[in-house]
Amino acid sequence: MTTREITYLEAVREAMSQEMRENEDVFILGEDIGVYGGAFGVTRGMIEEFGPERVRNTPISEAAIAGAAVGSALTGMRPILELQFSDFITIAMDQIVNQAAKTRYMFGGKGKVPMVLRTPAGSGTGAAAQHSQSLEAWMAHIPGLKVVQPSTAYDAKGLLKAAMDDDNPVIFYEHKLLYKTSSNVPEESYKIELGKADIKREGTDVTIVATAIMVHKALEAAEVLEKDGISAEVIDPRTIVPLDKETIIESVKKTGKLIVVHEAVKRGGIGGEIVGVIAESEAFDYLDAPIIRLGGKEVPIPYNPNLEKAAIPQVPDIIAAVKKTVRK
Amino acid sequence: MMAKEIFMPKLSSTMSVGTLIQWFKEEGDSVEIGEPLFEILTDKIEIEVEAYEEGILLKKYFKQDDEVPVNQIIGYIGEADEQVPDSSPGQSASEHDESDEEIKQSQPAAAEQSSPPEEKVRATPAARRIAKENDLNLSIIQGSGPNGRIQQQDLLDYLNSDAEKVKITPLAQKIAKEQEIDISTLKGTGSNGKITKQDIIPAPAESQTAITSARRKMSGIRKVISKRMLHSVQSVPHVTLTSEIDMTNIKELRQSLLPIIEKQTDLRITYTDILVKAVGSAMTRHPQINISIDGDEIIQHSSVNIGVAVAIEDGLIVPVIHDAAHKGLAEIVKQSKQLGKLARSNQLTSENLTGATFTISNLGMYAIDAFTPIINLPEIAILGVGRIQEKPVVVNGSIEVRSMMAVSLSFDHRAIDGAPAAAFLTELKQILENPYELLV
Amino acid sequence: MLKNLEIPSMITEKKLKDLYKEMWTIRYFDEKVDQFFAKGMIHGTTHLCVGQEASASGSIAVIGGKDKIVSTHRGHGHCISKEGDINKMMAELFGRETGYCKGKGGSMHIADVEKGNLGANGIVGGGIPLAVGAALTSKMKNENYVVLCFFGDGATNEGSFHESLNLAAIWNLPVIFICENNQYGMSGSVKEMTKIEHIATRSEGYGIPGKIVDGLDMFEIMNTVHEAVEHARGGNGPTLIEMKTYRWKGHSKSDAKKYRTREEENEWRAKDGIKRFKDALIDAEVLTEEEAKQLQEEAKTSIEEAVEFAANSPEPSIERLEEDVFA
Repeated sequence: MTTREITYLEAVREAMSQEMRENEDVFILGEDIGVYGGAFGVTRGMIEEFGPERVRNTPISEAAIAGAAVGSALTGMRPILELQFSDFITIAMDQIVNQAAKTRYMFGGKGKVPMVLRTPAGSGTGAAAQHSQSLEAWMAHIPGLKVVQPSTAYDAKGLLKAAMDDDNPVIFYEHKLLYKTSSNVPEESYKIELGKADIKREGTDVTIVATAIMVHKALEAAEVLEKDGISAEVIDPRTIVPLDKETIIESVKKTGKLIVVHEAVKRGGIGGEIVGVIAESEAFDYLDAPIIRLGGKEVPIPYNPNLEKAAIPQVPDIIAAVKKTVRK
Repeated sequence: MMAKEIFMPKLSSTMSVGTLIQWFKEEGDSVEIGEPLFEILTDKIEIEVEAYEEGILLKKYFKQDDEVPVNQIIGYIGEADEQVPDSSPGQSASEHDESDEEIKQSQPAAAEQSSPPEEKVRATPAARRIAKENDLNLSIIQGSGPNGRIQQQDLLDYLNSDAEKVKITPLAQKIAKEQEIDISTLKGTGSNGKITKQDIIPAPAESQTAITSARRKMSGIRKVISKRMLHSVQSVPHVTLTSEIDMTNIKELRQSLLPIIEKQTDLRITYTDILVKAVGSAMTRHPQINISIDGDEIIQHSSVNIGVAVAIEDGLIVPVIHDAAHKGLAEIVKQSKQLGKLARSNQLTSENLTGATFTISNLGMYAIDAFTPIINLPEIAILGVGRIQEKPVVVNGSIEVRSMMAVSLSFDHRAIDGAPAAAFLTELKQILENPYELLV
Repeated sequence: MLKNLEIPSMITEKKLKDLYKEMWTIRYFDEKVDQFFAKGMIHGTTHLCVGQEASASGSIAVIGGKDKIVSTHRGHGHCISKEGDINKMMAELFGRETGYCKGKGGSMHIADVEKGNLGANGIVGGGIPLAVGAALTSKMKNENYVVLCFFGDGATNEGSFHESLNLAAIWNLPVIFICENNQYGMSGSVKEMTKIEHIATRSEGYGIPGKIVDGLDMFEIMNTVHEAVEHARGGNGPTLIEMKTYRWKGHSKSDAKKYRTREEENEWRAKDGIKRFKDALIDAEVLTEEEAKQLQEEAKTSIEEAVEFAANSPEPSIERLEEDVFA
């Protein structure tokens, strides 16, 4: 496969464009995704290639566009809905939670809702409380939804392909600060199966499970820790529904120590679920230190850059947690 | 601020003196509330006593092996420069004296004290798993984690240390420990040179030739037993009656009861369990045995409480099955198993150990035909039980093979005479040979 | 013109008779369901459309098999009109394996995707965006079907109603928004809850046609919906049609109806859509009294058979609990 370095943003766009060239049923709808190219520029150039029928610029009506995506998916289309900020999922909540997620089950296994809801999440842009949240645990709680959180350009492209191929509603969280990061990405279309974690770095002393942007912070921490003789394994679940429990359990059995890091508020975050999985699993008997969860503070994301940084886990927090857990 | 007294606690209703085994603190050391301060030996058990006060240990009036009456002040805790008497001022203030409340309070504390150390060990799940896999007691491992938490590495270190270099099966280790064999002198013949039971059996002779003789201090419990046995033999005129009992019917009874009891309790009924029941029945019919002597008075007991001698590490302990006559066999099986387990794990409480009115000592699992047991004071009789053996016996003029068992009843001739003791033993024989009597 | 009746051309004499029987089927179905709930034979909740048969039957009469409907929590009538299988419906209410949703949905989630019924909906206004999406598919895939989107007067105060009308309007989608104004959103009178006299006038805000019809007049319903369907098929976008109607029963199974008067109820009952349809058909000599009676009987019998089917159907096995979450 020919690869070249492209950004996370380009990878998302490329995955969509390749799919739209292949499959007439795939289209994208969302606010300002037309000539504007989307709030973050992800769809830039797409309306020129695919026209306004398949790159549908919508009014600011999150409930209606989410519902339209569900309704069109139910009747044979494969829509990609771009919600401008993941915070706006609150306005589309009925259509996602009560309609998309439940339709198939309520109908006794009839009908399917093959749609992808793509949405930028996370803090770090100074957008403050209503444009910086990480609400993925809400979605993960709802039976009938799959939840994806890519951390690299390579993963973004492969996972988005899998999400578009999936016959179920998939919530695809893109981290705003990752849009500009790049990695080697194959030119052709490829798929990364949903529910397969990726060991981003192998190690023997401690397992760090991190999601989205925290994968990068965990890797940075692991570099520092290596100098102190601590070998950290960094696991990126990549999809939190379905969750690749096995990979995490196996890693914890190997290292005996677990740190879970996410940007979302720690209370009620997906970290608790991951810790619960370990506590219930055979890995419990291999735990050699209390598990530590690192997550966002219990505050709305503040505006001031220093406060904003302090509200979520940073590299030194991860290093400190590891050192508390691993004694060398 | 006044210095606080440290006194010899009364840990059971029968305890009058305690032997100081050791102090955990030196004079001048600081003491926290709840910290183990000293260890004593009562007439039943060894107990670590925790500090009720905090401060500096100012004075210790007694040393190791001293026998101290209950409530005697044995030391003081207070502030560094406080003055305390040079010698023990005697009994602690009277509110501690004989107060029922005090006893009630101290007994649960005693029970907690004697619980096995594993329960209090702070260890990670990984450490616990490795300990289990290697049959290790976590209480012997030093934890190096936060708050002394034992972690995986501590166990790996321990396993790699000399202490555990020798590969040995759990059974062999147990036997070696019981027989005080130094396993490092043994050669293993099992897989990977593992020492097995076979490697141990011939060991004593060899190691005895190697080692000439050694002196060691009696353990606390050994001292208690030695004193109590001597006291019984020296002060009680023992008479021992023996009788041979045909156990053929009991053997059959036990065979048919085994599955029934096992279904109910998950436990196997033993001959001792049946003996407890049978002795209980015999004693209700012969209350003259169910007594004890206190000075020149005879105490008639209302319920039959049977002690069963259990061999434990370095000694012998007699947990009690209360009201044995009125308990069903399943209940007796359950209790005796539970007591045996507690005894071996050193978890018996004083309640488990007091109140016996008769003792059974069964050596039938060994090649013992009969023996003369020593009475467990203040009881007045004890039954020694030998092995069951198939023997030719004349029954109605012809020789039959029957399962025979010899029993010996030692009784205190101060309390009763030969005839009532013989009547009791005959009754017991009658019950055991005709087990349906157990129903009566 | 058939027998001097002003009706859309696709409505045949046979279709008129079928519609008459269908209206009775709807009424008997919901009366039976009401009775079973009262007896405690079926559980949960249900919303009955007794009295509102015309808006379902008349509207759906003028669309074809490939056209779709999006229904509401008061949706038994819509389902029956959209060729629904009353056996499967009754079995679903009984919570049986043979029900439309294998016993997992109940009254509020009956759907028949193959027949173009995209389902009842437990959320007020929840189905309106879905209808827009279904219409979007029709347009994008050139499938040329239309979507009838049913909702009540209460739903028109939901944001989803307004967002959806606007979206369908700007995209010229083939969806007909049918507001069955039965005068009450649960206990809330439409007069208290909206400041306007006719909900249909809300169409003006979105630049689409708005029509007000007598929701108990089968002919007016058929003609108006037919016109809107033609408008939509012509690529001219949606229409909002308000049908003035009335539910005879309470909001859901137990309802003291304290929010309205007996006089008001009697006034509306007198305008019974079934009776008016029958009178018109007899006047036009499409039906005789005798035939009418027979069709009514047949409807009743079919409900008895549905009950029989449902009652004899197996309960879903617990092993099925976790099936059907994902496709």
